[in-house]
Amino acid sequence: MNEIPVGSKARIVTYTQHDSFTERLREFGLIPGTIIRLLRKAPFNGPVEIQFRSSRIVLRPNEVTHMLLERIA
Amino acid sequence: MPSILDAVSSHTPRLTAALVGTPNCGKSTIFNALTGMRQKVGNFPGVTVEPKSGEVHIDKTTTRLFDLPGMYSLTPKTPDEALSVTVLHGEHDALPKPDAVVFVMEGTNLEKSLFLYAQFAALNIPTVVAVTMIDGIKASGGVFDDIAMEQALGVPIVGIVGHKGIGLEELREHIALRGFSRPEAAENQIPVSEGIEAQYQWARALAGEVARMPELDSLTTKLDAVFLHPVAGPVVFLAVMLLFFQSIFAWATPVMDAIEAGFGSLQNLVDAVLPAGVAQDLLSRGVIAGVGAVVVFLPQILILTLFITLLEDFGYLARAAFMVDRVMGVFGLQGRSFIPLLSSFACAIPGIMSARIIASEKDRLTTILITPLMTCSARLPVYVLLITAFVPPTMLGGFLSLQGLVLMGLYFLGGLSGLLVAKVFKVTMFQGTKLPFLMELPPYRFPTWRSVFLTLFHRTKQFLTSAGTTILTLSIILWALGEFPKHQAPPEASPIQAASLQLEHSALGTIGKTLEPVFAPIGFDWKVTIGVLGSFAAREVFVSVMGQVYSVDVSESDENLRTVLRSAISLPTALSILVFYVYALQCMSTIAVMKRETGSWKYPVLAFGYTLLMAYGASLLVFHGARSLWG
Ligand SMILES: Nc1nc2c(ncn2[C@@H]2O[C@H](COP(=O)(O)OP(=O)(O)O)[C@@H](O)[C@H]2O)c(=O)[nH]1
Ligand SMILES: [Mg+2]
Repeated sequence: MNEIPVGSKARIVTYTQHDSFTERLREFGLIPGTIIRLLRKAPFNGPVEIQFRSSRIVLRPNEVTHMLLERIA
Repeated sequence: MPSILDAVSSHTPRLTAALVGTPNCGKSTIFNALTGMRQKVGNFPGVTVEPKSGEVHIDKTTTRLFDLPGMYSLTPKTPDEALSVTVLHGEHDALPKPDAVVFVMEGTNLEKSLFLYAQFAALNIPTVVAVTMIDGIKASGGVFDDIAMEQALGVPIVGIVGHKGIGLEELREHIALRGFSRPEAAENQIPVSEGIEAQYQWARALAGEVARMPELDSLTTKLDAVFLHPVAGPVVFLAVMLLFFQSIFAWATPVMDAIEAGFGSLQNLVDAVLPAGVAQDLLSRGVIAGVGAVVVFLPQILILTLFITLLEDFGYLARAAFMVDRVMGVFGLQGRSFIPLLSSFACAIPGIMSARIIASEKDRLTTILITPLMTCSARLPVYVLLITAFVPPTMLGGFLSLQGLVLMGLYFLGGLSGLLVAKVFKVTMFQGTKLPFLMELPPYRFPTWRSVFLTLFHRTKQFLTSAGTTILTLSIILWALGEFPKHQAPPEASPIQAASLQLEHSALGTIGKTLEPVFAPIGFDWKVTIGVLGSFAAREVFVSVMGQVYSVDVSESDENLRTVLRSAISLPTALSILVFYVYALQCMSTIAVMKRETGSWKYPVLAFGYTLLMAYGASLLVFHGARSLWG
């Protein structure tokens, strides 16, 4: 997540761990295969906003280490 | 479609129905429209954290309707979700398992709602589906096919625009005729137990069939480009705050003066009509002076309510949480805690309740413990009274009022102290287990005038009711304590002197003087002491006590209370009082709700203790600091 530049897209490949947090991410619709776009980063290493389909969610990039992403654009 | 009426046996005319759906999909809006009640709605997840119940009467039928907190799935992650799931499973202690469900789907994000539906269908509770925000679909150029959806799901579908009342008549009919159908997952090929991925794939496919939506709502994208901009965002945030604090003084003062004048003439009228004696005194110096002193602050309370309501309904609150998450992180909290903390600026009680949206128990308890340091609306009258009395109405640079800045400073002092205290709790009592931060940003929505007006009306009613009950009762008690026992003033004394002698020798004076030594180090005389003690029942009582204690001075000198206070209280004392109110937890209801939400007396006692210590300590510092500065 940290390596994706603002404005670009990535595809969720898989989750490397299953816990209640990654379950909640999937329940939000972030299932493998979903394409996400990184909309913005808050300054000073703050949270990021990502958009996928009709949802926008915010999270801290260093807390989503178990989401394996693949850059597509 | 399975038969209508299948849920109701003929001898139970009363039906229990629950509103179920994802957070922020419009459930409470429907609840209010159907029951005529005024549940709080707002454009962020986590407004409703407790089930609310109301009755719907349609054509002689009665339905008991529950508004449940929203949930993303049937595997709950936060306490508010857990509650809804318990109710749906029929395992709640107090609430019955609902006979039927109005399943609310957010039209602008159908796949998320359909995903929840896939899990919900397993329970096979008779259901009618209400698809809200049809206006949102149309506005962004999308289309929605309710017939296709009805065919796919096998339950009745009603399209709704909740806050405009569109489609509600049809929904009422379904409820009255018991037009619910069971989801029948097997028959309708709903993947109830195939796992999250399969359920989402089903939801996406179906959402794609029944609705066509442009992927992104462009208004939200454009507004976020400004509001969430790394530079412009915080600037807008500060500007909005400044505007608010300015308006408290600039716009409210004329209305305040008018209300004050109204109570003044009422007092004169009572004095003229009633013969001098106990009755005149009770009405004029007890009731009117006491209650009037508080009611004067209605305009400020309304400005505060308007401001918070607009921010909430518009969808800005969740954005603010995003922007401050980094700062909250420094203090060991996360952006989610910001939502309960911001609600606490209206009142700590809903703030403490909405801490239920925080998944981590340690964060939730920490947040609850610091809510009392957020400046609630009950403090506003105390602040405004003392600021208008002691801070000159100077305009800095021609447009920034000094009074507004001082007020803003008090809000910041409380907020910042709260965060520091949170840090202390996080490194001592509640260390460890950090849960990740995750939050949805809802699309911006424009509040309707109707809903804003209703909120203001509701708040006015609430404020005046409290003034007419709690404050009135306390005013009468305080007046009686101040009138008796009677003291005979020497004949040469002026009315003001006689009144102050009476007060000094009354029961109230005795109480104040007995406790004065405790508060003397922070500069409170016995009159202020009485006000502060009275505030432990409700903070506004301070204002009403000042109104009563100085009522004779006010009517004799024809000045308002603020002017009288300026000569009666020294500046260091005034500052000391202000700081005391920034910190002290003087609110019975807050203590009671803290006990309920944490399930133990430990936390309210801790909160009361640490805030009192901080209040006393800070007042001590400020009083002596100010005295050595201004001698
Ligand atoms: N445009 C639009 N907004 C709605 C509609 N229904 C509700 N809202 C708004 O959506 C937000 C969430 O509504 P609320 O009833 O609190 O949702 P709840 O969290 O499900 O109870 C509020 O800002 C409402 O004013 C609707 O049909 N159309
Ligand atoms: Mg609600």
